Amino acid sequence: MNRKHFLSSVLAAGAVVPALANQRDDGDAGKALIIPRYLQPGDTIGITSPAGYITLPEIQPAVQQMQNWGFTVRVGNTIGKRDFTFGGTDEERAADLQQMIDDDSIKAIMCARGGYGAVHIIDKLHFGKLVLHPKWIIGFSDITVIHSHLNRNYNIASIHSKMCNSFPDDWSKAEPAQIETILSIKQALLGEKMKYTAIPNEKNKLGLAKGPLVGGNLKTLESLAGSRSDISTAGKILFVEDTGEYMYSIDRMFWGLQRTGKLANLAGLVVGGFKVKPDDSPDEAFGRTIQDIVLQNCAAYNYPVCFDFPVGHQKNNYALKCGVPHRLEVKLEEVSLEETTSREKKKNDQ
Amino acid sequence: MIALFNEYYFLEAQVKYVKMMTTIPPYLQKGDTIGITCPAGFMPAEKAQTCIDTLHEWGYNVMVGKTLGSQSTNYFSGTDEERSDELQAMLDDDSITAILCGRGGYGLGRIIDQLDFSLFKKKPKWIIGFSDITVLHEHLYSNYRIAGLHAPMAAAFNDDGASNEFIQSLKNAIEGKKARYETKVHAYNRRGEAVGELVGGNLTLVTHLIGTGSDIKTKGRILFLEDIGELLYKVDRMFYQLKRSGKLEKLAGLIIGGFTDMSDTERPFGKTVYEIIQELVSEYDYPVCYNFPVSHNKENYALKVGVGYKLKVGKNKVTLEE
Repeated sequence: MNRKHFLSSVLAAGAVVPALANQRDDGDAGKALIIPRYLQPGDTIGITSPAGYITLPEIQPAVQQMQNWGFTVRVGNTIGKRDFTFGGTDEERAADLQQMIDDDSIKAIMCARGGYGAVHIIDKLHFGKLVLHPKWIIGFSDITVIHSHLNRNYNIASIHSKMCNSFPDDWSKAEPAQIETILSIKQALLGEKMKYTAIPNEKNKLGLAKGPLVGGNLKTLESLAGSRSDISTAGKILFVEDTGEYMYSIDRMFWGLQRTGKLANLAGLVVGGFKVKPDDSPDEAFGRTIQDIVLQNCAAYNYPVCFDFPVGHQKNNYALKCGVPHRLEVKLEEVSLEETTSREKKKNDQ
Repeated sequence: MIALFNEYYFLEAQVKYVKMMTTIPPYLQKGDTIGITCPAGFMPAEKAQTCIDTLHEWGYNVMVGKTLGSQSTNYFSGTDEERSDELQAMLDDDSITAILCGRGGYGLGRIIDQLDFSLFKKKPKWIIGFSDITVLHEHLYSNYRIAGLHAPMAAAFNDDGASNEFIQSLKNAIEGKKARYETKVHAYNRRGEAVGELVGGNLTLVTHLIGTGSDIKTKGRILFLEDIGELLYKVDRMFYQLKRSGKLEKLAGLIIGGFTDMSDTERPFGKTVYEIIQELVSEYDYPVCYNFPVSHNKENYALKVGVGYKLKVGKNKVTLEE
């Protein structure tokens, strides 16, 4: 490489670095929180599959239930589509979600299920219409990609909750926890202020925290590090959950959160359910619990931490409004997470 | 304003360039001492015996740390303190000229921020290992621009491994012989020539380190990646992370090693690892080679992380030359 060529290439590199650094520091700062309009009876909810594949019969209980709640349901054309593990090709999934974002007659979008695939389409989507006419996007697990992306780039609130594949086939035979969690989606969509309690865990770190709630699936959050969908956590209440990971992998992910600076400036930490994949052999026993792992990584910080919060790949997985200010109170006898009144920029697309 | 801005970064970049030539630790001489430590997972002492014997045959002294064959009853070879203390002692001990990690597993990420490289920086030595040791290689390269040796570890010497060309490549590397590896072509290869510093290692660790203080820059460099025991969709997700964090865009070249023991979900992913990668890098034009002998299998050539290499992906063969 000749000298002139070399200089021009380092020049370009030098100019890129500060831009990136600024982007990382900014997070969602400077953008007012956008809370989509809450739903009213008769409003239309769109169902789409941005990640894994699902059949039309599999979403029927959800369709039926949401109609019983008084909503109209529009089934997207990715439902029943399949490209191996995906609910259609990347193009089909992006087009279906884009169409629902852009269609003013759709007031909320429920993702039919998670699985894997949202990251394939996130950069293909245009959110301009969503900023102008915000609507609730609902889901969890792989849908964490969308929550994190919306929070980070547009500060639009969204709902972390169960999806179509978790609606009970027979409402009359469903367990109370299952019914409550599904009903929490309806309550969240109708604009109720959410308040949840958790059974105190002896390892909880007591305290009071106030800040916007962000988070989701831990592995998915880790896989967004360094990208433009990377979660910004400073001053916020972070919630995390995961399933099917080895304990060592969970440990590595919490170290990752710490080493990427995501634990240092939290307002509070909410640890949900972690379904741990068993160690391969007793000789390989990791020898640490989730609580050990979290507390070690948070030892230097004073904010409250609670365990066993009802969010995760489990029956008690309540609807949480991502991006919306919450108040977390971790007391010896009680843990509560409560939505607080925010000074949001109301965006009504009526 | 713009002029000032450019000037500022222009100078910064120049200073950085001058300061940031990769430091190559001294190569080994007969009679030098190699320290063996296990900074991550547990390893029974007997599994390292052939390695120790072979290093003696090569003419080196061996200092075995307590973390090898330790009393640990869990996953790790010792507590975080025991592992970091031992590695720290070996980093700082002038009588040790290279450090061979007994095995990988998981654990370096837990101790990397506790290690003090101030003495090591002044007197660098070769650190040998791969898999979880990727954390150390990346950390030393990104923070201190010191080269590391991505190479087979102690267990690879067993079962006649000590005589194969891959262990031989480790011997050659520490002796300071310049490497030239030649390997077969793969149908997905993208032909071309690349020159640049070699960076990379285990895909899971390379992605895990993104955004941390050990993260590497890949621009203008030759990136090599391998992994073991992952689900196909997770490999796909990791490559998406590399791409979305800008790590694939400005590469000089890409070397894809072995992706061993891959598994699939109940609903098949529908693509092989190599198909996943080929599709994701299709928009770039740098050379790419697949099935390069860097892996968790026997096929694992010693590669000097941070050192300049020339990669030639040709019609009939692939060569990687220091």
